[in-house]
Amino acid sequence: MAETREKSHKPKPRVRPIVRLGIFLVSHSFLVSVVCCTSGVLALFLLPVLAKNTYISENALMPGSASPMLSNQHVLDGNRLVKDLTNSNLKSSETGIESHKIIAQYMLDLGAEVSFHKFHPQMNQFHPLHFFSSPDSGKIQENYSCSSYGINTVGVIRAPRGDGKEAIVLVTPYNALKSGFGEALSLGIAYSVFSLLTQVTWLAKDIIWLVADSQFGEYAAVSAWLREYQTPKFSSLSTLNSEMCPDINNLFEIKVHSVAGSKFSNSFRRAGTMAAALVLKVRDQGEQFEDTISIYAEASNGQMPNLDLINVVNYLAVHRQGLRVNVEKLRSLLNSSWLKSLGEIFESLAKVAKTLNPKCKFGIPATEYVEGTATLASSLYYQALGVPTGPHGAFRDYQVDAITLEISPKFSLDKVWRNDILLRGGRLIEGVIRSVNNLLEKFHQSFFLYLLTSPSKFVSVGVYMIAFALLIAPLPMVAASLYVDANSSSNFLKGDSSTPSAVTDAAEHGITIRSWKWLNSAKLVFIVHLWGAIVSLLPYFICQIPDCSPTTSFVIWVLLSILSLLILNSVLASPLACVKASQEKEWALVKSVTISSVFIGLGLMSVINFATAEIGALVMVPMCLLAQPLKLDVRAGTLRSCCRIICNLVLGHIAFPPAAFFLLKGMLDGFGSANVGDFWMWVESLWAWNSATYLFIGMVQLPCWVLCVSILFHSC
Amino acid sequence: MEKLKKKIGSLSFWNWVIASIIFRLILIYFPKNLNLSSRPEVSTPLTSFRRLAEGYWLKQSSMSPYAGSMFHGSPLLLSLLGPLTVKRIEGQPNHLLYSLVSVIADLVSAMLIRATGQNLQFAYLRTLGSLDLVKQIEGSELRSSGDVAALIYLCNPFTIVACVGLSTSPIENMAVILCLYGACSRLIPLAAFGWVIATHLSLYPAILIIPVIFLLGCGPDAPPRKLFLQRHQQKGVLNESKLPPGFTWRPIIHFAFWTLVWSVYLLVLCGISLKQFGGLWEMFKSTYGFILTVEDLSPNIGVLWYFFAEVFEFFRNFFLIVFHVNILFIILPLAIRLHHRPCYLAFVYITICSMLKSHPSVGDSALYLGLLGWFVNELSDMQFSLFLFCGYVGVSLLSPVMHNLWIWRGTGNANFYFATAMVYACLQIVLVVEGVSAMLNHDRKLRHLITGKLHEAKS
Repeated sequence: MAETREKSHKPKPRVRPIVRLGIFLVSHSFLVSVVCCTSGVLALFLLPVLAKNTYISENALMPGSASPMLSNQHVLDGNRLVKDLTNSNLKSSETGIESHKIIAQYMLDLGAEVSFHKFHPQMNQFHPLHFFSSPDSGKIQENYSCSSYGINTVGVIRAPRGDGKEAIVLVTPYNALKSGFGEALSLGIAYSVFSLLTQVTWLAKDIIWLVADSQFGEYAAVSAWLREYQTPKFSSLSTLNSEMCPDINNLFEIKVHSVAGSKFSNSFRRAGTMAAALVLKVRDQGEQFEDTISIYAEASNGQMPNLDLINVVNYLAVHRQGLRVNVEKLRSLLNSSWLKSLGEIFESLAKVAKTLNPKCKFGIPATEYVEGTATLASSLYYQALGVPTGPHGAFRDYQVDAITLEISPKFSLDKVWRNDILLRGGRLIEGVIRSVNNLLEKFHQSFFLYLLTSPSKFVSVGVYMIAFALLIAPLPMVAASLYVDANSSSNFLKGDSSTPSAVTDAAEHGITIRSWKWLNSAKLVFIVHLWGAIVSLLPYFICQIPDCSPTTSFVIWVLLSILSLLILNSVLASPLACVKASQEKEWALVKSVTISSVFIGLGLMSVINFATAEIGALVMVPMCLLAQPLKLDVRAGTLRSCCRIICNLVLGHIAFPPAAFFLLKGMLDGFGSANVGDFWMWVESLWAWNSATYLFIGMVQLPCWVLCVSILFHSC
Repeated sequence: MEKLKKKIGSLSFWNWVIASIIFRLILIYFPKNLNLSSRPEVSTPLTSFRRLAEGYWLKQSSMSPYAGSMFHGSPLLLSLLGPLTVKRIEGQPNHLLYSLVSVIADLVSAMLIRATGQNLQFAYLRTLGSLDLVKQIEGSELRSSGDVAALIYLCNPFTIVACVGLSTSPIENMAVILCLYGACSRLIPLAAFGWVIATHLSLYPAILIIPVIFLLGCGPDAPPRKLFLQRHQQKGVLNESKLPPGFTWRPIIHFAFWTLVWSVYLLVLCGISLKQFGGLWEMFKSTYGFILTVEDLSPNIGVLWYFFAEVFEFFRNFFLIVFHVNILFIILPLAIRLHHRPCYLAFVYITICSMLKSHPSVGDSALYLGLLGWFVNELSDMQFSLFLFCGYVGVSLLSPVMHNLWIWRGTGNANFYFATAMVYACLQIVLVVEGVSAMLNHDRKLRHLITGKLHEAKS
């Protein structure tokens, strides 16, 4: 845009260097965009090589500096609980109340404060603007039934040295109705740690042990408890509750009488603000080779806990307890040969670099590269989905750092191995709690924005943003060059302003709105984006139609979307028709404005959820950059335009969100099982979790696709 | 045909006005989901509705409204709008009456902008006529700048957000526009009233006195005077009637008189309403003093809060002076360069103020973006228009996200939010620079036209 002026006053002797650079980049925008996009994709594949080793950033954590205090006595205690729970399971499996009673009894015996927390599972609701608002206390549901409720058992240890203003949370999901042995074992581990912590003197933060009733899902229980903890409801619901459901209350009454003089309370117990939370799970089926611990960290919208928390767990598990630490990876990538050869190329490149400069510590072995890429891909995938990978996700909504630890023991769980797992798992948890206990402030030293390539390696925001920035850098340049072209071509048509006879022309020109010509295109882009917003809101109404199968819902959605596009088209001055209006270079302006809007959308999304933006950019950037009316290309008939036609057609098909979904699904599960309703189900899960990815697809990608397609079929 | 076109144009104008008002009413009816009134972009300590309600409550319980550093507005706002903060209608949204007042203020402002724009356009056409450039214009389409400006003001998302977000900026904006309207249509008491009220409400419009003096002294925007002289000189005959009037002191003395009257009246009113609570001194301390000393460092879309949160205490006074003198420094050069276009000068001043003021909000941008519409014909050659547009869209979307990242998610920090504030300030700078240069280019082009014509005549 600066360039128009500079071009029209060419004889001007001096141009500022920055403007000259801008002109240079814009005039070579094709080359620049090819180079930038390629290097952006390449940088993405380089990320596993560029990953740094993790380090403990916060000094106060001091993991592993104290020797573990968890002894066999505590392990025996834990074992006792496991035994009792598995027995009670056999006795009265229908209510599940019994096992909660047992847990509460065990907690009380240790001298902890115990309370029950009743909750009703919340229906999944659609909050389109949830992302921008603070966590709310939830809608009070009027019509709940007394039969469907869950009970969380909560035990609190008050720290002897603390002021009661901070707390550490330990969560063990437990389904009393059909608990596997693993769940009981996780309770055993938590109990052994809990029993140790009642005795220690170093505790400076309160400990909350939440036994989350997972019959409605682990996440629902934890989030219900957290909501009650953080945003108490000052309503008459609890009294209403007890009035309407006497049977629930009775059970608690019995409980209270049975342990007279204890610290049991019927009200909700709180400790201080949460410093960190650990969710502990034990898998029923064991691994084959060694004891493994898997870390799940992704919360909603790709938020991660502070890297220090993962570091502490990783350090203690590997260096103190001899557990293998695992993070999720995409298995299908592990065997891919092209990735292996890419890794080998990087490895050989690193060798060359090392011969040139011995100090250069660049490059990793090919196998490690493949593994790192698989981990990175899964890290990107789960962050992009925006759906939390476990109950720890609920904590992140309240700015509490939390991770889920899943222990998969080596052998079938006979007695000796069980004790070993109890001891090692317990010591790990103890060590983590002890480290967190040392914290003076909340986690802030280390990274929040990172991608893991292995449990001990990470890519920080400063590195992965480079790949993304390279990928989207061509967008503004191409937009500028298109804009300049469209303006200068019309200038050329109407005459140059150098001859005196043309002066009047130029003046006339000046009084018409010349540099505001793009407003028409902007209107079109705006209308399509408005349509995108309407499309993203439609499911809210569709899902209220009773008895609707996913397939019919999807069909209704598509029909309504098309209908709304037509209505908008006709009401707001026929936006699609105005494309073919007077201007010759109209499509260039439309493309320019489209690219600008995509640039804004991608930039915005990269701040909200980087992974979504990165994956979206991989599809949308080529599509936007290549879009050109098919007619022009057909007319040109050169090799280059043929290539462009093919690319455009392929991208035009791939970039349509449902098509992209089915393609991915087909690649992963095989095309036979694909069903039209699947997309609806996937979308439903996205908005049930308030994923920003849903808004991104509806309000950035879909409008961009529509605009690109309208450019392709532009009649010029 | 022309008439019909005009009719259709005005019809669609009224359609848009009605649509924008209906849109506001719809938004007012579900304010809970939007929660706009607590956004830092909308409500600053000076314009916040909650603070107004607090001040009213304090006053009702016979305490000073300025106690506790909550309220920093004018005592007159308390008396006029205060009762609306507590009045409720059964079954309606809580602050319906107050919101309706904002909507009406917006509508009035838009109408005043329209009238002023028509005034300006009339003056523009007349000057072109006296320069014998009418022929050039007949071929091209002239937008009705009044309509454009009014529609920009009404349909601007910033205005809508400020209106629905229950801030007091619609009323402050109305005072500024009233002042400019009065000056343009030579209603001197009205201009003086608007200027006094605007200054009283938010202090910064005080510098508008310079454009108002120019407006009253030599009339609305016109090409430079020497252009006329040149034109008529070369023609050989000096037609006095076609020259724009020179600077006259009479209306300015009138203006000074009326300003004095209104100021005294205003101060007396304020004094009466604050009689028991420390009087006028208390008012000046906690309104003007608050604005000038930047006491409240809560984040907003300006750049001062971050700076004064970082600066060492003993440099604070020095930098306070530096930042405020910044505005004053800009006044004189601009006044010299743009003295022949007082309305444009006012626009530039307002833009610069909204960039450098201590507690800016989107309401301020709403005002200057609306006024930009007045010059739609002159600025048709403005550079970077698409860039500026995209920048404004991007920043206004990015800023809430960064705020969310910092405050609610805890993964960002203050720098993230401040970065958007800096980008926003840069955008405003680019807007001012490009706008001024486009306006000067326009003047240059008129000169070229005249000289070109002369060449033609000679040959």
